[in-house]
Amino acid sequence: MKIASHIEKFERLDAVRRRLDPVADTELWIWTAMTACTHLLNAALHRCGVTEEFDSFHSQVEGQYAIPDRDKGTLSEAQHRPGDLMHVDQPPVERRKPPAVERACTALKIIEDLREAHVRGNQPIADGAAGQWERAYAQCVAELSAALGISVAAAR
Amino acid sequence: MRIEDHVAKAQSIERSLARCTAADYETVIEAAMLAGTHWFNIVLHRTNVLSTEHDAMHAEFLSAHDRRKVEATAPAALRSLDDIERLRTPYVRGNMPGGEQAAARAFACLARLREEALRDTGS
Repeated sequence: MKIASHIEKFERLDAVRRRLDPVADTELWIWTAMTACTHLLNAALHRCGVTEEFDSFHSQVEGQYAIPDRDKGTLSEAQHRPGDLMHVDQPPVERRKPPAVERACTALKIIEDLREAHVRGNQPIADGAAGQWERAYAQCVAELSAALGISVAAAR
Repeated sequence: MRIEDHVAKAQSIERSLARCTAADYETVIEAAMLAGTHWFNIVLHRTNVLSTEHDAMHAEFLSAHDRRKVEATAPAALRSLDDIERLRTPYVRGNMPGGEQAAARAFACLARLREEALRDTGS
């Protein structure tokens, strides 16, 4: 997607995340945080030229995109170079990321890695873990916001 | 995962989903996919398509063999989860118009999955 569209998606998802509690709403907090950060990551990767800004959406299959026909309101499938990522390094990118974006990816990976244990699985939340998740989210957003030159008050 | 654990996870996600409206369509679609997949796994375990040792992550990633078994035993559940999954690319990862209508569709499919799963459990 275009950079502006990714930022708009991030803002919409972040607004929902603020209504959720990482302990009471564990599954949806994790998923919404991950989805929000992925949009912001895509915006930053497009901005720094690591990936390209296409009017296409990543599908469920790595490296496969849906291309909208805005006039007809339809989608067609295509494979092209990234483009949007589905998750950190999915699909892999060839160009080197700036250090701030690398740090954001490390923070986002912490959130992505919670899916098996706490969204698809039912492992208990360790004491203090939710605070670590919130700090990872805040760091990811702060690094990417700085890379994009936008102001986001994500931490709470 | 055990059936009672899938029930608990699906219900937990649906409690969080109650904080959202159709205007929050990206989150509604994702929550419907997550809760719906837990309901779908209950159907898969009850119909012996998959054991409780093996959960499905996404309906579209089931093997062709398992998909054919579900089509025969629980076609409405499979169709409902497929429908939710199809909403993700245009409305969550993408920005096609009509997000609120997509959220309404996701809510309806989730209700159908819940009904199918709870009918199986007799709850």
